[in-house]
Parts: sequence; structure tokens; C-alpha cells
Amino acid sequence: MTVITVTLPLTLAYAGLTALALAMKRHHEAALGAKPPPARLRAFRIGGWVLIALMVASCLRLWPTGLALSMALGLITLAGLPLVFLLPYRPRLMVWLAPILPVLAVIATLILT
Amino acid sequence: MAWLHTWSGLLLGWLLLAMFVTGTSAYFREEISLWMAPELHHSQPSPDTPALAWAALNARAPDAKRWDIHLPEARSPVAELRWQPDTPATEEGGRRRGERAVMDAGTGELLEPRASRGGDFLYRFHFELHGVPRLWARWLVCVATMFMLVAIISGVITHKKIFKDFFTFRPGKGQRSWLDSHNATAVLALPFHFMITYSGLLIFMVMLMPWGMNAAYEDGWRGFFQDVFPREEAPAEGGAAATMVDIAPLVARTRATFDQPVRRISVDWPNRDNAVIRVSTDKAPHITDQRRGGNPTLVFNGGNGELLETRPGDAAVPRAFRVYNLLVNLHLARFADPTVRWLFFLFGVGGTAMVATGMLLWVSKRTQQLRGKAPGFSLRLVNGLNMASLTGLFAAMAAYFAANRILPVELAARESWEIRVFFLTWLLALGHALLRPDRRGWIEQLATISVLWAALPVVNMTTTDSHLFSAAGWRHGALAGFDLVCLMLAGAWGYALWRVARKAPVPARKPGARPARRAAPARAAEDGA
Repeated sequence: MTVITVTLPLTLAYAGLTALALAMKRHHEAALGAKPPPARLRAFRIGGWVLIALMVASCLRLWPTGLALSMALGLITLAGLPLVFLLPYRPRLMVWLAPILPVLAVIATLILT
Repeated sequence: MAWLHTWSGLLLGWLLLAMFVTGTSAYFREEISLWMAPELHHSQPSPDTPALAWAALNARAPDAKRWDIHLPEARSPVAELRWQPDTPATEEGGRRRGERAVMDAGTGELLEPRASRGGDFLYRFHFELHGVPRLWARWLVCVATMFMLVAIISGVITHKKIFKDFFTFRPGKGQRSWLDSHNATAVLALPFHFMITYSGLLIFMVMLMPWGMNAAYEDGWRGFFQDVFPREEAPAEGGAAATMVDIAPLVARTRATFDQPVRRISVDWPNRDNAVIRVSTDKAPHITDQRRGGNPTLVFNGGNGELLETRPGDAAVPRAFRVYNLLVNLHLARFADPTVRWLFFLFGVGGTAMVATGMLLWVSKRTQQLRGKAPGFSLRLVNGLNMASLTGLFAAMAAYFAANRILPVELAARESWEIRVFFLTWLLALGHALLRPDRRGWIEQLATISVLWAALPVVNMTTTDSHLFSAAGWRHGALAGFDLVCLMLAGAWGYALWRVARKAPVPARKPGARPARRAAPARAAEDGA
């Protein structure tokens, strides 16, 4: 296993957590500046959990089940830390990184492994 | 129940912080030990290593009772030779301590690394401290761990708001910010904290709850362990002298049988006519595997190389035991390849940050409540102890590593001197912290540890030839990694120093714009932080 293969679940976790943060009214207003209708919040919440599910699935492809589930929890933790610090300082960057990072991770994984 | 979280967190926080820091370093225990033994850095494993080790033992201990050869692997480039001399046990029932040598895996030459406890000192400190009777220390550590479990559970129950504030961090607001960062590091990493605490207790299960074992076995844990981890006893008597087969074909055969690199060779009664050779491979790492033993093994007749037995490893571990293994292996990161090991290291750093922010929050909150009055004795004491346990510990660790390079190699009881340097530095930091439990003290200690950690790669460069600017330093990732982590730590402490020092002790304000009374708390809060 190389470091590169971990980037996909890690960035998916980041994207998922960002969506979940945007599903909270307070953070949504801080990051996107608009008062969100409840439907949009719900969409972000569902999208966030789907991304987390994808992330767990990608862990299961990398590791045997027991380790994969443990690592999934750990990677979500790790992805959450930059999110927590980007949210107050660079909210726009936080939002933009969410779709960009997983794409970069897929490209990096395809090229480098 | 908030008081429970506050006070159990504070009183055991100092111990927990030291456990977190040394425990995190223990994920790289073997790498640290390698860095601290520069004499081993040039060893390069080769396909001939088993044969070289065979020859070395034949030369050094041809008539031993038992040989053990640990071949090099990714984390250790040398071969380790152990042997039990054929002499009666010195004490009744006591196992005679064997002899040990380290061999250059490429040349077969026996190496003499400088006397040092290496990463083992930090690893041992993590769960049994130092200089305290071992059993007492383990109990103390377990009590602290139990309190951490209590702090985690009571924290989740009493501070239900933390889940609403999952992503919240409000920077630049003194106590609020410390609270937020304590929440962020605690709640985000809650699965890790719970796992590491609970599994830490499980590791000492036998010590903490011996009653079941004592009821079932007449001789308590000894009988239990003999059943769980059966130990193979060699036949009591060696036979007549005889020549043994070559080891290389047996190694090749074992490797081919299990499709894993060979890790270990052990021989009962080498060079006798009842010699038995066991060749074991690595296991394909699995998270529910046994902690010890259980590696796939071929057993050979030492005289003619005939295969006596094939042991496929621990496929048949009972389910309850697998659950135990899962948690314990997670704690020890035993299955981990380098990537996973680095992730665990980062989780450990997160745990350290969680304890540290909690302790700083305690001081910050009470400083804010003073509204500018001078902090009393107890607050100054806590602030000083925080400083000693955080920056002081890092000063001690840097001094420990530096002592490894600077102390003369031939110094008597050298490994004890390295440890003395560690504790003397820590004591010095404690004295300084208690004399200056304020912002100035923090600035001085942060500056000291930034310089110390940045100096380590430089000291390494002047005392060894395996450093960041040499090929030898990059041959084993561990060596370059150590120096790079030192530089990163130095950078992190430098940044912390900059943040603390940047805040002007007296906030700039227009005269008369605000009453002086209101400017003071901000200053005091910064003193606390």
C-alpha cells in the first residue's frame, strides 16, 4: 500500500464532512452567504452521507474488513481537522476544495499506482 | 457531571499528556531505536543473511542450548542473534537470561551499537513510567486510563452540545477558542480516543481483573498463559555432537511454502544429533491475529533437513479471542504498513492536542474569570505544571535524543545517562515553569524547544554520516523520517511561539476610549494562554 491510495478515501471523507457542515444552517450561511431553504439543507445532508458511504466502500477495497472500518473512522477524523480550521478562516476555499480534492485523488491514484 | 470531566481531566491530564506523547512516539519505537544506534545504519540485508547468521552463531556459540535468529525486515536492517548457553539455570525456576548480538546483515560482522535504551525507553514510559516499581506504575497508568474513559463518557453525556458544534471553531477569542479546539480534537477523534483508552485497559486485563483466572487455575496467570500461549520447551538434554544441514535450502523452502519472507529461525540443541530447526515467516498481517507467535512455521530435523511438521499459523483463533486481538492490535498498530503507521501517529498527535487544549482551557477559563486581577497561587501552579508537562516534556525528549549523539560512546552506564539527561532536563523545565508560570515562561520554553528540535538534525549531521544530506541517511526511510519529524516539530513550536509572542502584552488602545479595567482581562487571558 502506498500513501497515494489513501488519498481517495481521505478526500471523500473531506467532501462528505463539508457537505454535512453545509447541511447545518449556521455553517451554510457562513460559507455560502445565503439563507438556505430546508430542502437544500436536506440535499446537502443526504449528499454528505452518500459521500461518507462511498468513502467507507473505498476503504473496504483497500483493507480487510476489520481494519477498513477502523481506518474509515480514523480518516474521517483526519479529514475533519482541516475542515474545522478552514471554516472560520477560508470558508470559500473549504467549499471549493470539497469537489476538487476527490477528483485530484482519483487522477493521482490512476497515474501513480 | 461537568465537574467530573473538569477535575478528572485536570488532575490526570498531566500524566495522560506524558502517556500520549510517549505512546505516540512508540508507534515508531523501532525507527527511533535504529536512529539511536548509528553503528547499525550501514547494514544492508542480502539473500545470504541467513547463512551469515548461521556461520556467526556457529563461530560464537556452537554448543548452546538454543539459537534464535531474527532476520532483518523493513523496520530493522540488521540480524539479531540470541542464544541460551548450555548451563544450569542460575536461580530455581528462573529462566536463565540468554546472550544477544547484533549482526551486520550484509557482511556478517558482529556490530557493537552504543549502549542506549532507544525507543524502548519512551515505549516503556508510556505504560510503566520510570523508576517507580513496575506494578505500581502500571496500576497508576491504568487508573489514569480509567479516568480518561470516565472523562470521555461524561464529556459526551454532559456536553451534548458538542455534536451541534461539531464543525465549530471560533478563532482569536481566548477561552472560547480553546474550548472549540478541545471540542474539535476530542469529538472528531472520539472513535480513536475511545478505542485507545478501552484497548489500553484490555492490554492489562489480566492485571486489572485476575479473579476469573485465579479461580480457574491453581497457579493463576502462569497456568492461563501456558494454555493461551503454549511455550515449547526444548528436550532437557542435548544429544551427541553432530553436524547440521545448511540453512539456506530450508529458508528457501519455507519461503516458497508460505509465500512470505522468512523472519525467524530457531534451533533447539544446535550441532547435536537431536537438533530441531524451526523456520518461521512473516504472517500476512491480519488485524485479528495473535499478539505473539502464530507465524507460519516449518519444523525440520537439524541433522538431515527432513521436514518434521508444517504449522500454518494461527488460523484457528477462537472468536472471542479475535475480538480481544482486534482491539489490542489496533492499540499497538501491529498490523500496520508504513502508511497506516503514519496515520496512527497522526491520531496520537491529535490525542495529545486534545489533552493539551483541555488543560490550557482550564487555565484560560479561570484567568478570564479573574477580570484582570493577578492570578492566585493555585492558578499559577496549574499554569506552571501545564507548561512543564507540555513544553517541558518535549525539551526532555529532545535532550534525550541529543544525549544519544553527544555522550561519549565508551561512557560507563551510558544508557542510564541518556535517561538521566531526559529527567534532568524535565526537572529543569519544571523548575523554570514554576518560577515563571506566565506568558513570559511560555515564550521562553517554546523558544527553547523550537531551537532544540531544530538542532537535532544538525547534531546528527555532525556526529554521524547517515543524515539528511547523505545517501546513508535516506537508505532507511526511518532515518530521514526522524530528522524530518524533528524539523516539523521545531516548525510547529516556532509557529506556536510566534502566535504567543505576537500578541502585545498590553493591547493598543486610544487613551480614554475604553476604561482600563476592561482591557486588562484580555491581557490576562493571553497570559493564561
